[in-house]
Amino acid sequence: MYHFNKIFAIAMIVLLTGCSIGGEKKIKIFSVEEPRKKLDYPMPTPLQIEEIKWIIITSENAQEVFKKLEEAGIDPVLFGITDKDFQVLARNFAQIRQKLQETNSLLEEYKKYYEDTGNSQ
Amino acid sequence: MFSTIKMAIAILLITGIAGAGMYVMKLRADNATLKANQQKLETAITEQNKVLEQQKADFTAILESNKKLNVLIGTFKKDLDDLDKRFTKKNRDIGKLAIDRTKAIERIVNKGGNNAARCIELASGAEHTEAELKATLKSQINPECPALANPSYVPFQ
Repeated sequence: MYHFNKIFAIAMIVLLTGCSIGGEKKIKIFSVEEPRKKLDYPMPTPLQIEEIKWIIITSENAQEVFKKLEEAGIDPVLFGITDKDFQVLARNFAQIRQKLQETNSLLEEYKKYYEDTGNSQ
Repeated sequence: MFSTIKMAIAILLITGIAGAGMYVMKLRADNATLKANQQKLETAITEQNKVLEQQKADFTAILESNKKLNVLIGTFKKDLDDLDKRFTKKNRDIGKLAIDRTKAIERIVNKGGNNAARCIELASGAEHTEAELKATLKSQINPECPALANPSYVPFQ
């Protein structure tokens, strides 16, 4: 009976503490730095501008110009601007081109800075 | 009596040796900690130096980039001024010229239009042709945007 009690007591201790004998396994938390994915857009496709033909029409050559248009099978109608507006149009086009150039250059500089120097944050 | 004193001395000796041993062990542990700290500090200094180097390189890159963009913006103003000059040079009136020399002005306007269109293509990222890259003479350049179209051309001041 004495031995039975001893064995029973040991069995109870093992039963109650069984899982914790030897201690819990320690959880290891570690961090791995995952570099940010690159936004790998290709550079914008260059424009291909279609050619347009300018016709200068004065009070003297108007008849001749319209006649030539009709002969060539083109509707005898012209969308005109004055010499001053032509100058404005040329300036506007130059400004659009400059803005395009500036934006493209900025894009290239950003790309160079963040991709060449590894500043990808 | 004598044996009690001997025992006391023996206990004192054992305690002293044990204490000394523990002190040495503590010193060793302290030494190991200090070495580890030293190593960590050295690593931190190396890392800080790397960060400083990177910051320096970034700063130089930003300055260079700013300089490049400022030069580009400077050429824009010059291009616009040149364009205006072409219309108004020596009190030129393009309208009157077009009445007097219609065909010639039409040819010039069309050529200018084509050049301006090519400038837009280049500004949007189109590749330069060999002729554009090699152009060094005024007669070879695209007068609408020489800085963009003809990098080898140096205008005479």
